[in-house]
Amino acid sequence: MSKKIITPVKEFEDLLTPDYKELIADGPYNSGPKTIDDLGSFREIIEPHPHCAGCGVSLGIRLGMASLPSPEDTIIIGTPGCSYFALTQSALNYSCTAFGNQNSVASGLKRMLKIRYPEKHKDVLVMVGDGGVADIGLDYTLHSWFRGENIATVMLDNEVYGNTGGQESGMTVEGAILNMAPTGKKFPKIPVFEIAKTSGCVYTAKVTVASPKKLGEAIRRAILIAREVGPTYVQVYSPCPTNLKFPPSQTLAIAKEGEKSYYKYEEYMTDEAKKYLSRINES
Amino acid sequence: MNTDTVSKQKTTSISAGEMLLKTARNRAFITGSEAVAEAVRRANVDMAIAYPITPQSESMHLIGDLYAQGHIKDYYRAENEFAVMAAIHGASLGGGRVFTATSGPGTLRAMEMFPVWAGSRQPIVCAFMCRGVALPPSIQPETIEIAFLLDTGMMIFHAENAQDYFDMILAGYAIAEQPEVHIPVGVFADGFFVTHTREVVMLPPDDLRLDAYNCDLAPIPPFDMEHAPIRMVRDPLLNKSNFVSYAASGGWHLEVLAAAERARKHINHYMGGLIEVENPDAKVMIVASGTAVSQSREAIRVMSQQGMTDVGLIKVKSIRPFPEKEIEQATAKASLILVPEFNAGGWLAREVKASIDNNKRVVAGPRVFGGASLPSEVIIGEIKKHQY
Amino acid sequence: MENQNLDIRMAGLGGQGVVTAAHILGTAVVAAGKYAVVNPFFGAEKRLAPTESYVRISTEKIYDRGEVLYPNIIMVFAPQVITQGKSHTMPFYAGLKKNSLVIINSPDPIVPEKDMAKLDALGAKVVHVPATKLAVEFTETDLATNMTMLGALCGLADNLVTLESIMTAVEERFSGKSKVVASGTSAALDEAIKSKFEKTASMIEMNSNAIRKAYEFAKQF
Repeated sequence: MSKKIITPVKEFEDLLTPDYKELIADGPYNSGPKTIDDLGSFREIIEPHPHCAGCGVSLGIRLGMASLPSPEDTIIIGTPGCSYFALTQSALNYSCTAFGNQNSVASGLKRMLKIRYPEKHKDVLVMVGDGGVADIGLDYTLHSWFRGENIATVMLDNEVYGNTGGQESGMTVEGAILNMAPTGKKFPKIPVFEIAKTSGCVYTAKVTVASPKKLGEAIRRAILIAREVGPTYVQVYSPCPTNLKFPPSQTLAIAKEGEKSYYKYEEYMTDEAKKYLSRINES
Repeated sequence: MNTDTVSKQKTTSISAGEMLLKTARNRAFITGSEAVAEAVRRANVDMAIAYPITPQSESMHLIGDLYAQGHIKDYYRAENEFAVMAAIHGASLGGGRVFTATSGPGTLRAMEMFPVWAGSRQPIVCAFMCRGVALPPSIQPETIEIAFLLDTGMMIFHAENAQDYFDMILAGYAIAEQPEVHIPVGVFADGFFVTHTREVVMLPPDDLRLDAYNCDLAPIPPFDMEHAPIRMVRDPLLNKSNFVSYAASGGWHLEVLAAAERARKHINHYMGGLIEVENPDAKVMIVASGTAVSQSREAIRVMSQQGMTDVGLIKVKSIRPFPEKEIEQATAKASLILVPEFNAGGWLAREVKASIDNNKRVVAGPRVFGGASLPSEVIIGEIKKHQY
Repeated sequence: MENQNLDIRMAGLGGQGVVTAAHILGTAVVAAGKYAVVNPFFGAEKRLAPTESYVRISTEKIYDRGEVLYPNIIMVFAPQVITQGKSHTMPFYAGLKKNSLVIINSPDPIVPEKDMAKLDALGAKVVHVPATKLAVEFTETDLATNMTMLGALCGLADNLVTLESIMTAVEERFSGKSKVVASGTSAALDEAIKSKFEKTASMIEMNSNAIRKAYEFAKQF
């Protein structure tokens, strides 16, 4: 996409909202690939976002938005939940409709974009919460992987249904007392990360918001590899102070603790994905 | 003239008006399912997605064959109907022309996506091959699923036979893709009575194709990052903490309904009206849609042979938008209005009652369900009970 | 037989080609310039389960849809329809119009006496045709029973449809000249039949032969 497309004619300029003008002036399009090192030099999302103070999800989204290999050709598919709030404030196309349908919508969209733009990479990125992937959308996520769809899926795992008021999700840790789990969760976190490897994902990474560089690299790799090799999956631990009842200032500390114990950094890729990655890194 | 790269068949693109209203046709002895595939063959569809359910499956097998022959650019079997309708939504976001089909329980499983299509202003054409749902479970013909879909924001056309099914699918694309309309259309036919019944259908030559869909004419840009991106979700607004969201969402909703209103003139043009009337001055008027129209025609023929000629028929082709004024006008002289239906609920009778003056004239029946056929004798019996 | 408006009910077992027979008959009728509407019984398809198909024939446009409740002709493809009640319609002649025709695939009479009395009272012409026997004799497979039943129908129902138009419709159906929608199972059966005959051409020729023999057999009645 060219920046021209979003640039209004002079006569209409004063009709636009300030945030749209800022998007044109400082958005991520066409000024070379951005990484998280460039954060602060461009607008990865429109400010201010409506997430709670200390929100791990919003941090995950900001870091993700700063890691897109080609934002001018990226489309994000989401699903209802907290992730919706910051993602609607990204500078990209964003669709968020029925809960859990994201990987199906992404499958249809990616295929249509291949039909319409066979010579271009149009990156379709699914970015949703843990309930969207592991519970209500598990069917659709897995089947998109089985089918080998060229989609990158990112789970922002805050281990809870945040937007609906702090209910247990399949990704909640065992024993946690939350709404709808009044006596504590009775089963462990759903092993989506492990399932991904055996369900067709050619690249998977498990990261936390406390390691921005690893997170950025994982999302970048996931998007690049999904273009030609196959489905990819990144699971991002993004703790929720509001519902897991810790001080907003402690989000990174909690994430770091997770990194040391049950949320250790892991990266897996197939040989084919490895070859592809080194080929494009060379060129 | 362009050549299909895979099938190598030379095809000519023409407008829907030419295809539907001007082109000479040839006779084919085919089933309703085949008629659906013949419509899709000519509709220049970019992508179709399938999931099996009786009685819909045969049509989507044939559309799979069209893909294998190169007439459609992509096709796959998804994991269930919700996944199909979600992926069709995604494919349509991508700016191309799409098709899918389902039946009864599949319709209900996919339900959440239909208002999303309408709210996203997508010109999706979906064929519904009506069957029983679960009251108790039945695969037999029944039109109850139409009742569930009345207020999804989709246009709803109801085909009487295989010919209608063919024509209404093509007309569906023509109407749905009008820039001032641009909402989805469900084209319904009664399962088995239409899908599995073989009859003569008049078809335009099979080397004709509708002109390709042009997403640049859409009221909402496609999701392709070649058009200005949409930062807000294009779909019904979710952001409950935003004080303008009620007004925005409500206004958007009204616009979807207004789009269906603006479709009326295009339905008149491409389908010859929202209704068709036989014997308009009759004292007894039968109002019906789908297969019930055919059964009513048979009843009227038998009655006229028996000297009872004061019976007319209103065939309702468009259920959404609903032809309130047309039906009011066409029933003005009737003292008895009969609404035979293939479902237990009687949704068409409710619609008719809500549209006309003095609705005590309406007899909401006869109704059959659970797979029963509706013999003309039953319709005649009902008329005799009330009038003759 | 009066041919203004003719409704045929075919009853048999899944896999016998009852639906295909209706398809072929309908194709022949339409090719001859008349109207025909054909449909199977609406249900799940299973081998050896009761199955029915219906052919409506008329000189004017046909509106009526669904099962034929009041047939002029009943064709029973399998004796079990009568002897074991393997039928959607019980008794098999339910709704039969007066002075109608019943064709039964059986070398010997199988209609119980009290049913026969009722059929006689309706003025029905009941003909037993060894359709499976003829099929095996001339095509070496009982899968062609539907062909011999069609031949018999041609021989018994005057002015319904010519033998030649049936032959043409058979050729269309199996040579792939017409666009045929076949269910998964009937597509598999087509293949089974084709492999039995090796070549479509010889299959069509054998079928035609069987149809002709059944036609000649039926002509004696």
